Amino acid sequence: MIPFKPWLKLYMILIRSSLQSRMQYKFNFILSTMLAAMIQIAEFLMVALVLYKFGAIRGWTVYELGYLFAIMTLSKTIYRSLASDVHHLENYLVEGQLDQLLTRPVPVLFALMTQNFRLMLGEILQGSFLLIWSMRHMMNSGQLHAMSIPYTLLMILSGATILFAIGLATASAGFWTTRIQELQTLTEDAAQTAAKYPLHIYPSWLKSFFLFVVPVGFVNYVPSLFILHGEYGLWLLLITVGVSLLLLILSLQFWSYGLSKYQSTGS
Amino acid sequence: MLYFTLASKAYVRNLQYRAAHLLHNVASVLFGYMYACIWIGIGEETSLGAYGVQGMTSYIAFTQASLWISGFATMGLGIPQSVRTGQIALDLMRPVHLFPHLMSREWGQIAYQFTYKSIPIYLIYFVLFDLKVPRHWSTWLATCCALILAGYLSICINYVIGVTSIWTTESNWLYWTHHALINLLAGFFIPIEWLPHWMQSLCWFMPYPYLLYVPTRIYLELGAIHSLIGSLIWCVLLTLFCIYLTKRLRLKVEVQGG
Repeated sequence: MIPFKPWLKLYMILIRSSLQSRMQYKFNFILSTMLAAMIQIAEFLMVALVLYKFGAIRGWTVYELGYLFAIMTLSKTIYRSLASDVHHLENYLVEGQLDQLLTRPVPVLFALMTQNFRLMLGEILQGSFLLIWSMRHMMNSGQLHAMSIPYTLLMILSGATILFAIGLATASAGFWTTRIQELQTLTEDAAQTAAKYPLHIYPSWLKSFFLFVVPVGFVNYVPSLFILHGEYGLWLLLITVGVSLLLLILSLQFWSYGLSKYQSTGS
Repeated sequence: MLYFTLASKAYVRNLQYRAAHLLHNVASVLFGYMYACIWIGIGEETSLGAYGVQGMTSYIAFTQASLWISGFATMGLGIPQSVRTGQIALDLMRPVHLFPHLMSREWGQIAYQFTYKSIPIYLIYFVLFDLKVPRHWSTWLATCCALILAGYLSICINYVIGVTSIWTTESNWLYWTHHALINLLAGFFIPIEWLPHWMQSLCWFMPYPYLLYVPTRIYLELGAIHSLIGSLIWCVLLTLFCIYLTKRLRLKVEVQGG
């Protein structure tokens, strides 16, 4: 068993060099950060404007929707910051770059996770602002209490784990199919967009899809039922954490199995 | 003839990826389905004005299908990629102007997307929902014109985005900002008349409503055909701007050896 500390140190060194290479183009870095924040805000405005005009969506207020939205944004930000190139595995498979990673004296997944580290400042700013804004309002109205803060932090971490597991499992499918972009649109983009809204606005087949097939519902909707509405009980939060750990283990096993079947596309 | 060949080559090249694109359609249908569910949810509690629930599901179905004509163009018409690889120098040397050259290629792409994305997506919604369809042939004709003009506008906007890469090294983020603006200001999810007043005024100073909102209103027989004049004006203005930018691009381009 290799000790954890040297790995963490190595991880930090590789992340720092990845970040330094991105900062070579400062104007580009600042512009992309600002525009990313704008895109996120525009996305939320799309729903907020509807709520401003019509009020609630099936009983969920604009603050509750803001909360769901912020949890998804922050969880996704952690996942995509720490494992940016897991999402971009297709490029490695198509261009044969994965072969280079296979020759490194570190696990392939570790090497992949340290490539092209992205500090998603825009998403962090937007997600944090939205979370504080919605939680502050719900705390003032007595809907949330002090314990909601640690619950929310736990929810963001378990959410990031779930999204990472889904992303890793989707990427692993690429060891057989090479192209994964279309599948990612379904399991990541569409699923994450869907879970920005309360799942009960969807018909039961679609709701079940987002709970049991691509379980993005556990990122924000399921734990929110307890945190925001006090439904079911604290065990809902524990189940969420349990689901995230189970998904992580399963996706890691699927990744290892997929990697053992990897055949290079050649030159 | 040259332009037609460029367009048909782009169309044929895409045919190779039909299977992958059809899978992508599932995700695209899902997006629209989710948005329709939101409006159905809202419509249960509130009246949805002139549209009603059926009108709003028809609205979402049409905008979701039209996105493949006026929303999802090739990022910057491929110019940023050419800038990175140096191909742009060769493209500028060709005995054909860069703007119509890239535009012809993009029309082939749009024709493909219309056939293999817009139509299948709309047909699926037609089966899933009770959609409104035009009753008069003149509406069909006006909708076609509105969509062609919207496609032209989308090509011009993407050309502008692409050309900026010669100064900014990458225009990825401008492309995604353009998409965010489509979501918000083109009436993709919310009809423009439901936006706050200041936002409505802002919209009509931009070409965005002509990308989705105007064609959709015409299709649903809620909008006047003369709103196409606005589309035409924007087409002329953006064409002139694209020609001007090409001149600037010629002066800026540098060949750095290799």
